[in-house]
Amino acid sequence: MLKPKAIQQVLKQATSGGVRATLLLNSEGSPISFVAETDREARIYAAIASNVWTTFEKGTKSMTQDDGVRFLVVECEEGTLALTTVSKMMLCLVAKPEVGIAILKAKSDALVRHLEEPLTNVMTNVS
Amino acid sequence: MDEASDMGEELQKYFDNLIARIDRLKAITMTDRDGVVLIQASTSGTPPKVLEPMLSTTFAAVSDQASRLGLKRNKSLVSFFELYQVVQFNHSPLITTLVADADSNTGILLSLGDELKEIAQLVATVTHER
Repeated sequence: MLKPKAIQQVLKQATSGGVRATLLLNSEGSPISFVAETDREARIYAAIASNVWTTFEKGTKSMTQDDGVRFLVVECEEGTLALTTVSKMMLCLVAKPEVGIAILKAKSDALVRHLEEPLTNVMTNVS
Repeated sequence: MDEASDMGEELQKYFDNLIARIDRLKAITMTDRDGVVLIQASTSGTPPKVLEPMLSTTFAAVSDQASRLGLKRNKSLVSFFELYQVVQFNHSPLITTLVADADSNTGILLSLGDELKEIAQLVATVTHER
């Protein structure tokens, strides 16, 4: 069984040093667990992040022979969104503009390393 | 030869030089939001698939969505694949796309943004006038 509170403790560790929000979304884009200032903010990030990933994945499917996009960084004037997948879910980090891409990549890689195995086990047991 | 075609040649030369200057940069394209290529340069080994207009039109859609995040206007998008990384700039009304090897230096590619923005503005003005 998934324990959102336990996942939240892990996500919380990455939500520092300019990272404003960290979210774990299911394949439909609904938040499973998140750390953000407000619920409203988290819902907006989740909806748009999921749309961005799906649009980009569909649009670039024919472009590459490999298994598609692995990591996506969307830079806006007042913040940066970093997206990747973990197990069959989506991991999303939202940071202040001064946070470098390398830091976001390192944080999301660390989260993926930590969450991949337990989430895959849960998903296998569910299906 | 008129002024605009002179400028076209100059810009093509600049793009070709950029490909030669930046390590592991495979291709660079400047398109409008419909994917119509205005300037393009690539190395000989670049697979034609990565030069398809779909990459620009996808970016245009993603950029519009990202601008609704509440983080103001989208500036750029960096995507990592197994073999390539793609850096795209929102140089409205144009889109600049850089395709490089997956292990090339992303920071260097992103630092070209301001330089390329000026060129995009120039191209946008000329194409608008014509």
